[in-house]
Amino acid sequence: MAMALKLIPHLIAWFGIVLIMLRGFSGRRSAVLLAGIFGFVIGVAGTLILYRSYPGSITFGVVKSTLGISFILLWGSSVFAIYRSTGRGKDTLRGERLISASSTACAVSCLASIVAGAVCACKLSSFATGGAIATVSLLLMLVSCCALAYAALAFEKRLPEPFRVSPAGMLAIVTALLLFSASSILRLDLFSPLSMKVMKGVHDFVHQFMESVLFPDHLFVRSYIWKSIGLLFSKEVGFWGGLIIWFTPAVLIVTAIAIQRLPSVAHIRQGAERRLQSAAAIRERRHRLVIPVLSVVFFAAAAYQSSFPSVEYWDPKPLPVTANQAGEIIIPKKGDIDLEDGKLHKYLFKQGEREARFFVLLSPTGELTVDLDACAICKPDGYGQAEGSVICYYCKTLIPLETVGKPGGCNPVPIAFSVKSESVVIDGTTLINSWGATVQATTRVKEGGK
Amino acid sequence: MSSIIIETSGLTRNYGDICALKPLDLVVPEGEWLTVMGHSGSGKSTFMNLVGGLDRPSAGSLRVGGKDLLAFTEDGLARFRREFVGIIFQQHHLVPYLTAVENVMLAQYFHSVPDEAEARSALERVGLGHRLKNRPGELSGGEQQRVCIARAIINSPKLLLGDEPTGNLDHKSTVMVMELLKELRAEEKFTVIMVTHNQEVAGWGDRTIYLDDGMLVREERKVEA
Repeated sequence: MAMALKLIPHLIAWFGIVLIMLRGFSGRRSAVLLAGIFGFVIGVAGTLILYRSYPGSITFGVVKSTLGISFILLWGSSVFAIYRSTGRGKDTLRGERLISASSTACAVSCLASIVAGAVCACKLSSFATGGAIATVSLLLMLVSCCALAYAALAFEKRLPEPFRVSPAGMLAIVTALLLFSASSILRLDLFSPLSMKVMKGVHDFVHQFMESVLFPDHLFVRSYIWKSIGLLFSKEVGFWGGLIIWFTPAVLIVTAIAIQRLPSVAHIRQGAERRLQSAAAIRERRHRLVIPVLSVVFFAAAAYQSSFPSVEYWDPKPLPVTANQAGEIIIPKKGDIDLEDGKLHKYLFKQGEREARFFVLLSPTGELTVDLDACAICKPDGYGQAEGSVICYYCKTLIPLETVGKPGGCNPVPIAFSVKSESVVIDGTTLINSWGATVQATTRVKEGGK
Repeated sequence: MSSIIIETSGLTRNYGDICALKPLDLVVPEGEWLTVMGHSGSGKSTFMNLVGGLDRPSAGSLRVGGKDLLAFTEDGLARFRREFVGIIFQQHHLVPYLTAVENVMLAQYFHSVPDEAEARSALERVGLGHRLKNRPGELSGGEQQRVCIARAIINSPKLLLGDEPTGNLDHKSTVMVMELLKELRAEEKFTVIMVTHNQEVAGWGDRTIYLDDGMLVREERKVEA
C-alpha cells in the first residue's frame, strides 16, 4: 500500500489534466470525461502489455519518445502562437472554432490520457514487478483514475466562469503536467537528457568550429585558453541551456497572450461603453494568462524533480581490494558479498601511488561484468544504480543494465576478467592502466571531461 | 419620459431606533429632474444614498433602472454604482494631489480603463479646458464643482445624484453649475436627483418633493410658463 502511494503525484497530475481539458472543452464535458477515462485505461493496459512483452527499456523508450513529441509539439505551438499574436483576433477565432469541435475534444482528451496512463503504468512497473502488489496497485490506480475524473468534473463546475483556457495554454499545461509526472521516473525524465544534449551540442559546435577554421583544438591550444573554453563544456552550461529550452515554449505562450491585440472598440461611440468593452477584453486576456503561467510552475517543478531526484540510488562505498603476488585481484562470487545479487558492488584497488575504482555487476541476462567506475567521456564521478539502470553521477545519463559491460558512450568502461573457481579474477596492472588512461583522457581538457 | 427609472414602495431606513426614512412610495420617470428638499435630518441624504446604492434599506422595495437593488450582492451593488450612477457632492471629494484631468481619469479607472483624451474632452465640455493640469487647490469652488460634474458624467450614468452640489457656491457660480447640468442633461438624457436646501436651485428641476422627519410631506411639479 505504501508503495502504491507513490502513484499519488501522478494521479494528481491526471486530475489536473482532466480539469483543464474539461474547462478547455467546456461545451463537451461528457465526451472529454469518457474519452479521458478510456484513454487512461488504454494507456495503462498498452504500456503493461508492452512491458510484459519487452521487459527491457523499449517500453520506457516509447513513452519517453511520446513525451518528447508532446514537447516538440508545444514548441511548435508556442512559436505559432507568437507568430499569430499580432493578428487581430484571428488566432482566437480559429482556436475557438477548433476547440468547440466534438472530435477535437475527444481526440485531445484521449491522447493526453493515454500518455498520462502510460506514465502511471511505467511508475507502477518500476516498483511492482508482479504478483499481488502489482495487481492491487493496478486496480487502485484504475479506480482512482475514474474517481478523480469525476472529482475533476465536479470541481470544474465550481471554477469561476471567467477562468478560461486558450488552446495554446491548454497544450502548455497538459504537457507540463505530463512532464512533471514523468520527471519522477528516471527512465522517462526528459530534462536531464536535454541538458546533456545542450552540453554536447555546445561541445560539438566549438569543436567543429575550430576544425572548420583549420585550428586543431587538441594540439596547440594552450592550457589557459582551454580553461576558458572549458567553461563552455561544463555541466552548468548544459543545465542553464536546458532550462532555456525547457521554459521557452511556456514563456512564448504567455508572451503571445500578453501581447495579443485587443479587439477593436473604435466603432463604439459612447466612451463609457467603449472603455467597458476594453476593460472586459483586458480582463479576459488576464484570465487566459493564468493557465500558461501555471504551466511555467509545473515546468519548474519537473526540472527540479529531474535535477534533484527523490530516487534513492544504490551506491555502496568502494571496498578496498588488493592483488596477489601474481598481480591478480580475486573477488569471491559468494563471500561476504553476493556478486550475483543483481546489485552494483564497488571496489577500490591501490597499486603504489596509483588507484582505480571499479564495480562488479550481474546483468539481467545473467552475465557478470566488471567495469571501471568511470566512462570515457565524463569526469569520473562514478555510477549509482536505480530503477533498472546505472546512472552516471556527472552527466545524469541512465545506462540500462542490459547494456552495462558494453563499451562506448557514457557506458562504464568494461574491464577484462575471468572466472576461476567461483571467483572473479582481474589483472591489477590492466585495471590501473585502464583507469589511468580513461581518467587522463577525461580530465585533460579541464577539471571535468565533457 | 416614458419608462420609470426609480420605483420605491414602503422604502424605509432605520439607524437603530431612529427612523431616518419612513415608508416612502415614489416613482421617478426616466429623464426627470427631481429635487428633494427638506430641513437638516429630514432624510434627504438617506434617500439619495439608498437610491445611489450607497446604503441598503431596512424595509420596502427599491427598483432602479428596472433592477431590484435589494437583490444585489456587495459586488453587484458596486458595479451598479460604477456603471449606473454619477454623484456630485457638496464637499467635492476631489483627490488633492491629482490634477483635474487625473481626478476624472480616476473615475474612469474604477469604472473600466482610463482614457486621458476622453477625460480632457469631458473637462472641456464643462469649460475647464484651460485648467486640465491644475490641482483642486488651484481651482475656485465653482471650478472644483465643475470638475466633479465632469467626473460624475464621464462614465455616462443613467442617474445623476447631487447632494447639495451648490451648497458652497456663490450665486454666480451656482447659476453657472446649474446651467451646465441642464445642458448636459439635455445632451446625455440622464435623470437628475438633486438634494438641496436652496429654493432657487429647486426651481431648476421638473418636480420637487419635500421631506420632513423622514416622511414625504409635499410634492410640487414645475409649471412651464
